[in-house]
Amino acid sequence: MSGKQVFKKRLFPILFMLAVTLVFISVTTAIYTFTEEKIKINEKLVQKRAVLSAAGVSYPDDPAEIDTLYHRVVQEITDESGEALYYEVAESEYYSGNAYVIITTGSGLWGDITIAVGVDENVNTLTGIEIIDQNETPGLGGRITESWFTEQFRGKKGPLNSVPEGEATSEQQIQAITGATYSTAALRSIVNATLEDARGRIKS
Amino acid sequence: MEKFKIKRVFSDDIGRNNPVFAQVLGICSTLAVTNVLKNTVVMCVGLIFTTSLSNFTVSLMRNYIPARVRMMVETLIIASYVIIVDIVLKAYFPDISRQLGPYVGLIITNCIIMGRTEAFALSNPPGLSFLDGIASGFGYSYVLLIIAVVREILGSGTIWGIRIVGDWWTNWSIMVMAPGAFFVLALFIWVVKGQISEEGEKK
Repeated sequence: MSGKQVFKKRLFPILFMLAVTLVFISVTTAIYTFTEEKIKINEKLVQKRAVLSAAGVSYPDDPAEIDTLYHRVVQEITDESGEALYYEVAESEYYSGNAYVIITTGSGLWGDITIAVGVDENVNTLTGIEIIDQNETPGLGGRITESWFTEQFRGKKGPLNSVPEGEATSEQQIQAITGATYSTAALRSIVNATLEDARGRIKS
Repeated sequence: MEKFKIKRVFSDDIGRNNPVFAQVLGICSTLAVTNVLKNTVVMCVGLIFTTSLSNFTVSLMRNYIPARVRMMVETLIIASYVIIVDIVLKAYFPDISRQLGPYVGLIITNCIIMGRTEAFALSNPPGLSFLDGIASGFGYSYVLLIIAVVREILGSGTIWGIRIVGDWWTNWSIMVMAPGAFFVLALFIWVVKGQISEEGEKK
C-alpha cells in the first residue's frame, strides 16, 4: 500500500470525523452557552411558582412579579452545606399564617416525581402540593399535574388514603385518577413520607 | 426537470411512499406522542426541522464524507440538530418542553431522518434534499396529526385540551395508552393502503 492510499483509507476518515465532531460540538456548545442563563431562570421560575402554589399563595402571571412576591414572602432555610431544607412562606395578604414548603423527589411509575409539599405552621395540615417534574404516562398518570387533582390536597391531613374518583369525603382521603392507580399511589406515598419527615426537618 | 423532481419528492413522501404508512418508519414516536394533539404538533415541528436540515447538511458534505464513516457523520449531524431543538424549547417554550420530557431527545432515533439522509441526501443536491426532508416531515406529520386527533377525542374527549364532547362521554383509557395507537395506526394503514392499491388496479 502506498503512502497516499494509507492516508486516504485510514487517516482521512479519522481526521474527517474529528473535524466534523469539532465543528458540530462547537456550534451546539455555543447555542447552549447562549441560552444557559435563560434555561436556569426558567427552571428557577418553575420552582418558585411551585413553592408559592404549595403554600396556598395565589401568584401573578408575570415572571417579574412572581420574582418580587417570592423574595418578599419566601425564605429559604438551608443546612450547613447550603442545600435547601425547606422554604418558609411568611404570612401575607395572600395567605393567613405561615406555611412551610418542602421540595422532595420520589419514584413514580416511569421515573422520578419531584414535588413541592406545603404544610401549615403546625406541620399537620397540607396547604397544597405542586408537581415540579414527572415522567408519568401522558394523558393518564401525567394528569397528576392537573389542578383538579392537586387542588384536592389542600386542607388534607396525613396519612392519606386514595379512593376512586368522586368518592373522597374525609380529610385523609384523596381521589385517585381513573386509569392511573399506580401514579396516584406513588404520589400519595411521596406526600405521606414527606409529611412524616416534615416535623423533624422543620425546626420552629 | 427540476420541477418534476420536486413534485415527485412531495407526492412520493406524502402519498405512495409515505414514511409512516408505506415504509412503516418512525413508529416509536407515532405510538408515543399521539395521545395528546399539542405534544404531537411540537414533535412534528421538531421532526420537520431536523429532517430538512440534516438532509441539507449531509447533502452539502456528501462528496467529502468517507463512505465507511458516513453513518457516524449522519448521526452526529442529526444529534446536533436535535440538541438544538431541545435547547431552544427549554429556553423559549419551557412549558411545552416540560410536557414533552424525553420525547424531544428521542427524535434522534427516528428512523425517518436517518433513512432520508442515507437514501436521498447522499445522492442528491442540497436544495432538493432539503425539500425532501420537509416533504418526509410533512408525510410523517399529517399521519400523526390524524392519529392524535382520533386518540385525543376517544381517549380524553378533548381536542387541543378543549373539551368537545359532553359529560356523558366515557374516556377510552386504552386510547391514551400505547395499544390505542396500534389500533388507530393499523386502521389508518388498512384504509389508506386499500385506497392506493385500488388506484393502482384502475390504471
